[in-house]
Formats: sequence, structure tokens, C-alpha cells
Amino acid sequence: MKQGLEKKKLKEDLSKKILSNFKKNKFNFTDLDLLIDTNLLTERSGEQFKKFTLTYKDLFGKEISLRPDLTVSTALKYIQEKKNKEEKYCYYGSAYRLDKEGDLKVFDQIGCEIINSNNNKSENILINSILEPLKKIKNLQVILGDVGLFKILIDSLELPARWKLRLVKNFSRIEYFEDMLKRLETNYDLDQKAIKLDTKRIEDLEKLDPNSIIGGRTVSEIVKRFNKKIKDPRDDYKGKKNVKIIRDFLNINTSIQKAESAILFFFSKNKLNNSSIKSYLKKISKINKEIGKKYSINFKTNFGRNTDYYSGVVFLAFTKKKSKIIELARGGEYNGLLRTLGYTKDIPAIGGAINLNELINL
Amino acid sequence: MSKIKIGLPSKGRLKDESLAFLKSKKLEVVSSFGERNYFFNIKNNNNIEGIFLHAREIIERINDGTLDIGISGLDLLKELPDAYSENVKIYKKLNFGFANLVVAIPKDWLDVQNMADLEEVSFEFREKYGRRMRVATKYPNLTESFFLSKGVSQFRVVPSLGATESYPFTGSSELITDITSTGSTLKANNLRIVNDGIMLKSSACIFVSKKIEKNKFLNLLK
Repeated sequence: MKQGLEKKKLKEDLSKKILSNFKKNKFNFTDLDLLIDTNLLTERSGEQFKKFTLTYKDLFGKEISLRPDLTVSTALKYIQEKKNKEEKYCYYGSAYRLDKEGDLKVFDQIGCEIINSNNNKSENILINSILEPLKKIKNLQVILGDVGLFKILIDSLELPARWKLRLVKNFSRIEYFEDMLKRLETNYDLDQKAIKLDTKRIEDLEKLDPNSIIGGRTVSEIVKRFNKKIKDPRDDYKGKKNVKIIRDFLNINTSIQKAESAILFFFSKNKLNNSSIKSYLKKISKINKEIGKKYSINFKTNFGRNTDYYSGVVFLAFTKKKSKIIELARGGEYNGLLRTLGYTKDIPAIGGAINLNELINL
Repeated sequence: MSKIKIGLPSKGRLKDESLAFLKSKKLEVVSSFGERNYFFNIKNNNNIEGIFLHAREIIERINDGTLDIGISGLDLLKELPDAYSENVKIYKKLNFGFANLVVAIPKDWLDVQNMADLEEVSFEFREKYGRRMRVATKYPNLTESFFLSKGVSQFRVVPSLGATESYPFTGSSELITDITSTGSTLKANNLRIVNDGIMLKSSACIFVSKKIEKNKFLNLLK
């Protein structure tokens, strides 16, 4: 009991210190809603979201969830308050998630978010604000990644547009992504016999009113996608070669100081179009200049994939205790999240949170 | 010793074939209380009492301990939460009641051959219409886990109580999952099974309660 109270006190003292640090960096404290309309979450992330959220039905059958994540809650706050300019929020609270066994886990977090900023130093301000309270921790290490780089890699490959879309959309689902790479290697999704039969039937379909609906889709939509599919490169899209490039790319793991040159070398070695990668890498270069010397930072192309709303820079701060990794903070850019939650357009956003439960145990 | 309680399907081919199976094991069902009564006995065997129930109900009653043995479909057990499998054990798969749980789409969706196509169409559908594709089904749990395992995440389950095949043509869903033995009802309703869309191969099974797994009576059913 005493130990529990001591920990609570310690947590409160720490959070006060960290919040005052955030406030110095001009973040405004906000109280976030504990409950979220489940429909908003499932419309965004699909049904799988329900598997790790504690969800209730109210008397009218409407589903509500305990917030599984404080970034999503902050994004919803921005939308509800009808903001349209830069906002710098900070918060302190708990996120609630179910683990694989269905047990509820509570994560006490303290974090900050920058939404809709034109300042090209936002990434540095945010990452610095999160790492600052941790800087005195022994053997603090940081992993940096950028999930946006993967999209650039895929765009530079000779692949059917359908495959490009599919690989990018499923980048965050690591197990399924692996399954997809295996399929890409073997051209699994093309059934030549069925294509021949359907090519005959499409002529009949083309005679129908293009606006008529079949199972919720218009005839023109079906015909258009069918034609696009059969005109896509079929047998010669070098599945094996492309899969090797993707796997090699996801193995890049280097210090932040060498990240830019390692990625440029990778593109040139594989004869990939590097016109957009050069300007994109400026962001990494800026982070390196600003904080590369203050912290021990490793750059990994494979890092930060498992949160599906991250769109760019992602980071994790950790230390090791008896060779076990203790995750102390994580965050990243989420430029597409607000639109999927109901905002009118994509806007730049970045956030991060410190894991208080782990921090007080150090 | 208390009597063993058996549940059998109350109607259709599953009922007829269950009765025939028991008869083949020299366990003849007699409706001692009249044809319309739900309770039955087994001829020349006073240790057993039985009841005709809906196939879904049989698994529920074995799970809550009011039945010891029952014949029902494998699909119905698999649809229930994993916790049921702790109390309800599959004693034997039977040689009847074969059916597949499948993903079916309107036959004129010529651009969709497999689940990978559905995955792509579901993204396009959401972007175009601002909502997720709806899947009508009597099997929401199996549908959710199968779709997610195949990479299709942009969908919403619409629970169906019957005539699921009609849903895509009444605007209630875009596609369905349903149980089919020959596929003829799907075909008659202008639906087609997706190439890799077989979610489960089901058959009738003898289910037993965990507490009677070692009962000698079960030897008669082997």
C-alpha cells in the first residue's frame, strides 16, 4: 500500500516537472476526453481496432471506447475545438488497451503534440521536448526511423500500381506485409484462366448502364478496375528482384550521422530514381544537426511501422536494465490522421509521449 | 447415477441424419411424449434422456452444463469465443452435414478474383464512398478474423439472421459470408465464391461436455 502511494507521489512530482518543461517550450496543457466514439476509430483503422480497446454500448446501441491512445484523443480535441491554426498541446493521463489475453493494461503517459504547424523546425522542437526530461538517464539510446521513406522507395520501383498501393497501405501490418512479399515473389494474385473467361464477360457488362449498381459498386467502377488490372504489367514485373530490394532496404541500420549517405548509396546501388529522396532526406539531416550530438541515435528504416497512423519521422527512446529494453518514450509524425478522424484535409502533425510507468521504476 | 442428457438438432437434414447415425449405433430415438414434443428417449436405454434443440442452442447448453452430449455443426462452435472450446469438446467428426463457410461476392464483380483483390477494392470503396464495405453474415467472429488474416481491414460486419444471399442486392451489404454445401443457393442469387475465400470446412460433429469426456457411454458412439 505504502509503496503504491509512494509511486503515485513520485509520478505526480515527475509529471509536474515534465509539464513545466513542456510549458516553457510553449505547449499548452489540455484535458483530454476519456471516452471516444468507437465508430470514429473503426472508420479510421478498421474492425481490428476493437480487439485492443475496451468498448461499451450505451442504451441506444452507440459504441464508446476508453481512449486507447492519447495522440488520437488530442487530434479529436483539435477537430472538436474547430481549430485551424498551429496548436501546441501537452497532456498527462492514461491510455487503456487490452492485451492479447484480453486483460486491460493502463499506460500513464505525459506527452506533447504540435498540430498544423508551418514551422520547419517542428520535428526538432517536439523530439527535443520529449527527450529533454530523459537526458540524464544512464545509457539513454534513441532509434529514429521515417516511414515516409518506404513510400518513396516503393514509388521508385517498377511495380504495378495496385501492388504499390497495397504495399504502402499494409506497411504497418508487419505479419501480413511479409505474407504479401511472398506473394509478390510468386505472382500469386494472377489467375490467367479466370482472366480469359472474364475478358469475354466484360463485353456484356460494358453494354449495361455504367451508372447501374451491382452490390454497391457501379458498373463503370468494376469495368475500369478490371481493365486497369489486365493492363498492369503481368509476368514481367520482376517480383523477386523488387522483393529483394524491399528486404534490403528494411535492413538499413546505421548511426544518424551516416543515415543520409547510406540511403542515397542504397538508391544509387539499386539504380532507383533518387530525385525525391534527396529533398526528403533534408529532414533527417536537420534532426542530425540539431540533436545528433546530444543523444546516441540510430537510424533504422524498419522502425516505427506498427502504428498505422505514422506518416514520417518516428522515434523511440529507451535504456537497458539487465539487458532488457525499457521503452521510455515514443512518438512520430501523423500528417494524415486528422483527416481520417473528420478534419477537412491532411495537416502536418507530430507528437510524442513519455511512459511514466517505466520512468518511475528506473 | 444421473442420466446422460443428449441434444439433437430439431429440424432439417441435420436432424434426419443425426437420427440415422444414432440408429446405426443401435441407439434408436423414440418420441415417447408425442411427435410435437421436444423431449425424447432412447429405445431400451433408461440412462439417457434427450431434447431436440436448435443446432446453435445445443453448443450453448453443453457449455453451461445442462447437456452432456450433442450433435451440431463445427462452424457453430468455431464462431463462438475460444472459452467455449474449454468446456465443449469435439468427440467425433461425423460423415454428414458437410458445408463450407465462404466469402461470396456479386458474380459481376469481374475485377475481383481473390481476397487480395477484395483488400484493394475495400480501400478504393472507402476512399470513393467515405465508408467501409459491409459484409453481411451470420458468422461475425469468423468473418472478422478471416478478413483480417487476408489483409482486408476496411470492412464492417452487418449481422444477418437469414436470407443473407439477398443482402448485396437490397443495398444492405456489398458482399456476404455464408455457409454453403453445394453453392447452388449462392449461384441462384447471382453470387460467386472468391477463389481463396473458403473460411472453414465444416461438418456435423458430436460435441461432449468436458466433464463426461471419459464416460463409457461414449464408446457406443465411436
